[in-house]
Amino acid sequence: MNRSTRKLSRRQLLGSMTALGVAAGLGARPRAAAAQGAGSLASLGPEEAVDATIRRLFGGRALKDGAAQIKLDLPLIAENGAVVPVTVEVTPPPAAQVKAIYVISDKNRRPLNAKFVFNPGPAAPIIGTNLRLGESTDVRVIAELADGTLLQAKREVKVTVGGCGG
Amino acid sequence: MADIGNVRIRVPGSVKAGDVVRARVLVIHPMEIVERRGGRPVDKNYHFINRVVVTYLGREIAQFETTQSISENPFFAFAFKATEPGQLKVTFLDTHGGKFEGSADIKVT
Amino acid sequence: MAARQARALAVAVLIAGCAASDGARAGLPPTPWATRAIPEARGEVRVLPDGKREAVRYRGWTTEDFGAYRTYAYDDARPAPPPARALTPAEPGNAAEGRRLFLSRSLGPCTGCHLVQGEDVWPAGNVGPDLSTYGDRNLPDPYVFGMIYDARHVFPFSVMPPWGTMGALSPAQITHLVAFLQTQKGPLPPETGPERNPATRPRPVGFGDNLDPTNNPAVLRAEDAEAAWARRGPAGKACADCHAGGAGQAMRGVATRYPRYVREYRRVMSLEDLLTVHAVERTGTALPAESAANLDMTMLIKMASNGMPIQLDVVRPEHQAALARGKASFERRVGQRNHACVDCHTVDRGGDKFLGGRLLALVDAGLTRHFPTWRTSQADVWGMRRRMQWCMTPLGMNMLPADAVEYAELELYLTTFDQGKPVSVPGIRH
Repeated sequence: MNRSTRKLSRRQLLGSMTALGVAAGLGARPRAAAAQGAGSLASLGPEEAVDATIRRLFGGRALKDGAAQIKLDLPLIAENGAVVPVTVEVTPPPAAQVKAIYVISDKNRRPLNAKFVFNPGPAAPIIGTNLRLGESTDVRVIAELADGTLLQAKREVKVTVGGCGG
Repeated sequence: MADIGNVRIRVPGSVKAGDVVRARVLVIHPMEIVERRGGRPVDKNYHFINRVVVTYLGREIAQFETTQSISENPFFAFAFKATEPGQLKVTFLDTHGGKFEGSADIKVT
Repeated sequence: MAARQARALAVAVLIAGCAASDGARAGLPPTPWATRAIPEARGEVRVLPDGKREAVRYRGWTTEDFGAYRTYAYDDARPAPPPARALTPAEPGNAAEGRRLFLSRSLGPCTGCHLVQGEDVWPAGNVGPDLSTYGDRNLPDPYVFGMIYDARHVFPFSVMPPWGTMGALSPAQITHLVAFLQTQKGPLPPETGPERNPATRPRPVGFGDNLDPTNNPAVLRAEDAEAAWARRGPAGKACADCHAGGAGQAMRGVATRYPRYVREYRRVMSLEDLLTVHAVERTGTALPAESAANLDMTMLIKMASNGMPIQLDVVRPEHQAALARGKASFERRVGQRNHACVDCHTVDRGGDKFLGGRLLALVDAGLTRHFPTWRTSQADVWGMRRRMQWCMTPLGMNMLPADAVEYAELELYLTTFDQGKPVSVPGIRH
């Protein structure tokens, strides 16, 4: 998609978009159009407590203790919250398949860091990535099996505040 | 300066059929985080990678839904069972329509 | 005969006299070095229309002017302020206010060096003594006041900053801190984990393989500089025109000999310093100090020496003189905190201890051979000079330009601790 096409689409949509997502309490100030696109606040979803995230992702399904099946590598102390390496290896029960791995940081404004989905096939339930943590928090990993079972492991990560002397 | 979308991918030199291969991939990307002004989030189209697709031998084997809570210049490690020689491809898609690819040959003996 | 002898003697004395004064200045440029750094890295202080002075620094850094305090500049002849005393205020302090001050990140925080009680104390350091049971010592209030105001009366070479003498804390604030410290009594509650107390806290594990391009984004930046190596500048020339065979081959071993005295410019220079003049003079392409282009090119050149041991020349007279000056800088007390590098980076003082959440590096480990380095907390590449300039913020000191001779000679001194150790650029750190 070239730049000019993108600009035109935005202008065309602007009229309909101003009606979306009007926040209460802004008074008489004329409201700027809401941002468009997959990275807009509307697309990002709400800032929410982790319980709300869990409810939204999994309904009321029980989170079973997965400490035995989930090998979770996380530092006890992170030097900063910008880059916190995590590695997850799931050994599912025999004949069970891991459909997805969720990584969630409880105290982040939007707790879901990422969702890793494995199609039936050669992909193994092993992932690693670098997380952004807003502050010291529990990081939980939830493995979803093909039959819907949810296994959870979690660890507290303390983030060192930056700068000399802290 | 490394450009946005510059991808590096690492796989083992050669593997035996049936081995679980571990791959590492990094892409240069700002992974813009939400700005706050006066305690409120600024509404704009934040620029970050929100989807990663892994294909092996031309078939999608995994997809990642990613957020701004993944570090700048995102790194991913993943693993898969190597069955035959062929291409491993990782595609990154971002919120501004960006699409970046990296690929590596899986040499299976 | 006598006249000729007398003349010979006079000439000999004259030469000896010149040598003595030249010795101390050997290796310094004859005129002040004009900086070729990016604007944020020039150490400039500007005067605003209302007369206020504001420092021009990197984005996000404080703009406070610390002009009142000693710097590393060779022509800064101000002595370190002598120990001073003050009368203890009559009004007793408030312990709750004292605790708030103790933990306040806009001041020390005191917890940067001292552990005290409280689950919310995170992360405290152990550069200074654990004060969790300080109140059990029943020291008189005026004594504690004096220790915070200016500990040098009791410990002349103390690492403890002279908070009162330097005006960093007011006498009233100090009385609150005294009141708080006197409440720190045992018995101590058991720790819930090993991390709160710096004495038991696990050491940081680092950020993995610095040379793996799937781990360190700086490697990609350096590799991209290969294109800049071959690119013709405004003067119609490229680095490749004089340095044939690609950077990896042409620059092999070069980084092992820097910083060094460069005769053409009559001063000690790091590779970054040399690039600020050499690149523009030969190719027309400007590579200002601490610019991304300069750092990327420096990384590319240094990577050609990865694995090779640092081999500084420490024998030639200019290096001997520069090393003496660099060592003096390393030991020089500067800034509002009245600290020297030795206070944080040598064993027996702060070295290998926690300053807040940061483990302080020991200078003898060799701290230069991984620079320029990726910094994960900044998502950017930092050069050695920016790292030195950053030390200014907690010390309360104005920074010098990134390519200042003082920094180059300090870097030369630091690099002697990397002698014989392998180059490994770019690094990856917090």
